[in-house]
Amino acid sequence: MSSLLVISLAAAAVFAIAALGELLEQRAGILNVGLEGVMLLSGTFGFIAAKTSGSYLQGFTVAILTGALVGLLHGFFSITLGSNQVVNGMAIWILGFGLTTYIGYPYTGPLGLKPFPTVAGLPTFFLVALALAIAIWFLLFKTHLGLKLRSVGENPSVAEASGISVTGLRYLAAILAGMLVGLGGAVYSLVYNPVWNYNYLQGWGFIALALVFFSLWNPFLVVAGAVFFGVLWQLSLYPELLFPNVFSRYIWRAMPFVITIIVFIVLSTRWFRLRWGATKPEALGLAYQREN
Amino acid sequence: MRAVIGGYLIRIERRADLRWWHTTLASVLAIVFSLFLVGFAFLRVGADPLEVYSEIVRYAFLSEFGLPQTINRATFVLLAAFALIVPLRAGLWNIGMPGQIYAATLAAFGIAYAFGAKRSVNVQLPGELIIPLMFLAALAASAVYGAIAGFLRGRFQVNEIVTTMMLNWAMLWIVAHMIREGGPFMGRTAEGEGFTLPTSLRLPQILGLPLTVYIAVALAVVLTWFLAKTTLGYRIRTYGESPRAAEYAGINATRISTLVFALGGLFAGLAGYHYFAAVPGVFKIPKNYADFGDFSFYGLITGLIARNNPIAAIPVAVLFGGVSGGARFMQGKLRLAFGIDYALLGVLMIMMVAFQALAHYSVQVERQAAVPRPQLELERGESRVESPRH
Repeated sequence: MSSLLVISLAAAAVFAIAALGELLEQRAGILNVGLEGVMLLSGTFGFIAAKTSGSYLQGFTVAILTGALVGLLHGFFSITLGSNQVVNGMAIWILGFGLTTYIGYPYTGPLGLKPFPTVAGLPTFFLVALALAIAIWFLLFKTHLGLKLRSVGENPSVAEASGISVTGLRYLAAILAGMLVGLGGAVYSLVYNPVWNYNYLQGWGFIALALVFFSLWNPFLVVAGAVFFGVLWQLSLYPELLFPNVFSRYIWRAMPFVITIIVFIVLSTRWFRLRWGATKPEALGLAYQREN
Repeated sequence: MRAVIGGYLIRIERRADLRWWHTTLASVLAIVFSLFLVGFAFLRVGADPLEVYSEIVRYAFLSEFGLPQTINRATFVLLAAFALIVPLRAGLWNIGMPGQIYAATLAAFGIAYAFGAKRSVNVQLPGELIIPLMFLAALAASAVYGAIAGFLRGRFQVNEIVTTMMLNWAMLWIVAHMIREGGPFMGRTAEGEGFTLPTSLRLPQILGLPLTVYIAVALAVVLTWFLAKTTLGYRIRTYGESPRAAEYAGINATRISTLVFALGGLFAGLAGYHYFAAVPGVFKIPKNYADFGDFSFYGLITGLIARNNPIAAIPVAVLFGGVSGGARFMQGKLRLAFGIDYALLGVLMIMMVAFQALAHYSVQVERQAAVPRPQLELERGESRVESPRH
């Protein structure tokens, strides 16, 4: 049972790190629904780098750089060109899905490095996720920069009028978020499940996206939700722990997705939806054009 | 934005009005540029991209074997595009085509299975009764499966992008359960494949093409009329323009979002029925059924490139149906790694978004005469800060 908890926390680290990145940019008003694509691109490039060089460090570096570049690209479309952010996110997802299928295919198979070290029996990146949650909470709610970031997400024209560069801050948020999401993608492909397969991510990026919506944009609730989904996922992967010989293994593979939807329904109470509307960054997903 | 380069003033400005030819040109450029970029994959293995593309065109549009395949693939893409277009008119995103396609396919084969179609390919069954039943079951199953996401969106504001994605993965594994490792639909000889549909249960063909091809083309016209001319179409568009305004006008959000997703699911389901139960040479759930789920995302791009116009989607679907099939053919011939059509999918999508966004900007180049910079003359005490309240 304790090994189940450990692997659940390893899964939670992937959800949490990616979702924390998305949370950061959503607080600044940028919506990237293509998390899955960013994670696929960075996870795949990180995997290829680590496999060919034999070094985790190179793998993570490549992944984070890829994430930053994709964040920049999404930022360019969403901030400078001001086109529909949902369409941009979809494009990033399909780009990641299509391109990694072709580029990654020759690298199909296990990574072949010795397992990533753990800290006192706990998955290293779960601790990283906790640290990141604290850091992002501190940044957003205790620093001047965080106040500016949030004001850009709430009301960009007022922020601009008080001398804040909306464009600059949104780019900063998009790139930082890209780096975090990229790290999340690499944690999946290098640590959690280091076997490359086409479309290996199985919609985890979309679950991370949903986590941000359900966290009411609070970093600690993101981590709590990530742990919940991590446990849920592992329980449905190893069903014989609870319900031996009930369904075929394929039905059990479908279970986490069904349960995820059920969880969404249960969480969407009237109380929650009111709170949600009140905390949602007011300018989320809206392009901002400066008046000349 | 202005820049002066070598005595020329280059002005980049956001267009106030976007004409149809701007977006059409953007779409064409996006397709051409994507094909150019993917050409590098062919160049890498030492093939001449121009030669490869002309061979793709010869195979997909001019050969006796390739052309029907192109039309069948294009029909699949077109129907998947309708699955995107209807919900998107209401401002909602359906990326659940794969799940809806699988749901329809399972329902159609479930009916055939119930009538004992698994026994043999030659079993004589009353096709005139069972074929319509299979068809209707497919549409009903996919409409219901699609409607789940729409209902959750309308009733509980659960993000439809996430829900449809989860539903895709769930149905992917349910299909695996049905056709693999002794599942009920598993073929009697082939491991990991569905049973083959008996000849008596195959959809009739006209001029060598399954009936579904003609249905899809007719649907493009019907759908255009439905969205433009009927009250319900008007309500869908109103909801898409502004959900809040629609709510004030007495339009029920839950009903509209459930309806558009049911319709979207239905079209995706038709695509599934078309490819697995009506296209010659398939007539079963193949081992690589997931490839067709992925292939339905070409419908997403088709819908976006056609700017939500069902009739404009037809030529785009034909192009993608042909090029993706031809690219796969060349991939085998040149011994490329798997997934060249996936790469094209990804590149097309990002280029399409880039060019559509750039279409909003105009570039003007003017000969720059030496204009002295106007000096700001401020009176004493006047503020340089422009405020809308002054």
